[in-house]
Amino acid sequence: MNNPFNLASFRLIFIYTLLLSVSFGFVLMFLYFTSARDIQIEADQKIVNKVEEINRVYLRGREKGLFNYVRGQISRPTLNIYRLYNSSNEFLAGNIPEPTDLKINEDGWVEFTFKMNVNGVEETYYGRGRNIVTPFENLRLLVGRVVNNEIKLKERFFYSSLWSILLIIFLGIFGGYILSRNFLKRISDINKTSKNIMDGNLSERLPTTKGKDELNQLSSNLNEMLDKLDSLMTSMKEVTDNVAHDLRTPLNRIRSNLEVTLMSNPDIEQYKRSIDEAILETDNLIKTFNSILSISRVESGTSYLERKSINLEDLILNLIDLYEPIAEAKDIKLTSEVEKEIFFNGNMNLLSQAIANLLENAINYGSSSPKPFITLGAKKSEESISLWVSDNGEGIKDSDKKKVLNRFVRLDSSRSLKGSGLGLNLVNSAVRFHNGSLKLLDAKPQGLIVLIEIPVS
Amino acid sequence: MHILLIEDDNDAASYLIKGLKESGHVIDRASDGEEGLFMALDSNFDILIVDRMLPKLDGLSLIKKVREDKNDTPILILSALGEVDERVKGLKHGADDYLAKPFSFSELLARLEALNRRNLPDSSSNLLEVGDLKLNLLSRRVEREGEEIDLQPREFKLLEFLMRRPNQVVTRTMLLEGVWEYHFDPQTNVIDVHISRLRSKIDKPFKGKQMLFTERGAGYALRHNE
Repeated sequence: MNNPFNLASFRLIFIYTLLLSVSFGFVLMFLYFTSARDIQIEADQKIVNKVEEINRVYLRGREKGLFNYVRGQISRPTLNIYRLYNSSNEFLAGNIPEPTDLKINEDGWVEFTFKMNVNGVEETYYGRGRNIVTPFENLRLLVGRVVNNEIKLKERFFYSSLWSILLIIFLGIFGGYILSRNFLKRISDINKTSKNIMDGNLSERLPTTKGKDELNQLSSNLNEMLDKLDSLMTSMKEVTDNVAHDLRTPLNRIRSNLEVTLMSNPDIEQYKRSIDEAILETDNLIKTFNSILSISRVESGTSYLERKSINLEDLILNLIDLYEPIAEAKDIKLTSEVEKEIFFNGNMNLLSQAIANLLENAINYGSSSPKPFITLGAKKSEESISLWVSDNGEGIKDSDKKKVLNRFVRLDSSRSLKGSGLGLNLVNSAVRFHNGSLKLLDAKPQGLIVLIEIPVS
Repeated sequence: MHILLIEDDNDAASYLIKGLKESGHVIDRASDGEEGLFMALDSNFDILIVDRMLPKLDGLSLIKKVREDKNDTPILILSALGEVDERVKGLKHGADDYLAKPFSFSELLARLEALNRRNLPDSSSNLLEVGDLKLNLLSRRVEREGEEIDLQPREFKLLEFLMRRPNQVVTRTMLLEGVWEYHFDPQTNVIDVHISRLRSKIDKPFKGKQMLFTERGAGYALRHNE
């Protein structure tokens, strides 16, 4: 099995995960900074209030009042910090030991740490506050608050954000790996089957499951393509076999005819007759070749066949016009049942030829009854256009119906009549060219109906 | 007729030359496109027969160049590409007719004849006359020996086609293409039946000589002696 990291799907998942993590990181960062700022502002507000209170105390009681106030405050447990110094910076009173790492910011805020023994455990505390200096500079008070909780909150927020991003990355990549491996297994199944098919196992098909995902669709499309190719190959093979067989017979006739004529010391008349026969045979061969060519041209779809709007009534009446005399000569009643104003997009010549073939079949093989008739019809419904040729002849046995659409197939009953066995095959190709379907139905009480149905696009 | 045959295959050319000479024509041959173009523009031919696939200059380009030179000699294309759209392509390039290989020699002769006659000044009269047979295109009246003949529309068209080509062989394919506009070969002898119907109307009832003849191995001809 291939490395899933090389897989397009995995790379996609990886990139997607990365993008997701980055954007999630941005969101968390924004949240972190805004909430951290809010927490800070709230804490700072408390200190600012305290500073204002102390200013009022000083205005009321001067240095003495301030001193007493601090003494009062530090006598009970509080999160507020007080450290009072005299003008020579000597410590007078306070509730915390000497702070370390003291840092005075540009905006006047002081940050510091100190160690204190609470309940027998020495802990590090973080403080934040402001310096208040009395007007004659004889007292300086550092007033502030312990901000351990705020810092912890910020830290917790920071780390949980970091972890959640890491978790997203991990889940994304791991999940991508698992999904890709599953995907890869199906791809490799498809690859394996394709190799088998390439090795000549032409009947094998790609595995499909019940789902309707892209891979399944791809597989069933490929399978359909294989089916089509298979049937094309089969028909190709049939054609080559049939061509070899069916063309060899007339070629052999021509050859023996000419050879025997040469051998028998003929007179001019005999020569002429022989050559005439040979020309007739070659003409028939050429006709057969032309039919094969037009059929494969239509079926291969490799060459351009023009499509134009066709009036079916015109098409059918034209054909009836062409075939009516020959039908009459054979005492066949040729009628039409055509709805007016049926238009559709198709190749006029091809469709005419197809219907002409059906008519000729009906005239040649469908006129066995005492009162033979042939009907040519067309009608249009919501979803399709129907075209049919029906006769009251012998019809075709159900067992033969499928067979007659193949190339060079001639039923025993028709062998005595001339024909190439390609007529219905061309009809079938022409119908397929127009995306239609061809049905051979039994007429009542007897006869054959050839029904062409072309969907209205 | 003085015909220029532009065909690169020596065997095919020699059969054609032999056959055309037998039929009383004068033939010159060019074996590639450039030589053919030079000869076609250099001297005056009645008809050019051009193979489509030629060395040096292909048939279609040759025809285009001939037409660009304001030369309107009738041109017949011979080609192994026989499908309808190929034919249309050939005619679009300026050819007057198109014959797919393999063809019957009588078909070629008939078409050459038709092309040559087309070159004659055409009387734009509404009355066609061949012997004592008269066909009026406006009143759609047909008469022979002064007697009116009742024809169905298609018979009328068929007769018109034949009367426009008096004393000329017209093949079944030419009739199918010209009268019905079909470009395929029916397997049955539909045209023969149409002709015999027409014959029963224009020939049989009249004591005069037969006019509508079957040309063995070729087709039909409407003939009258001058």
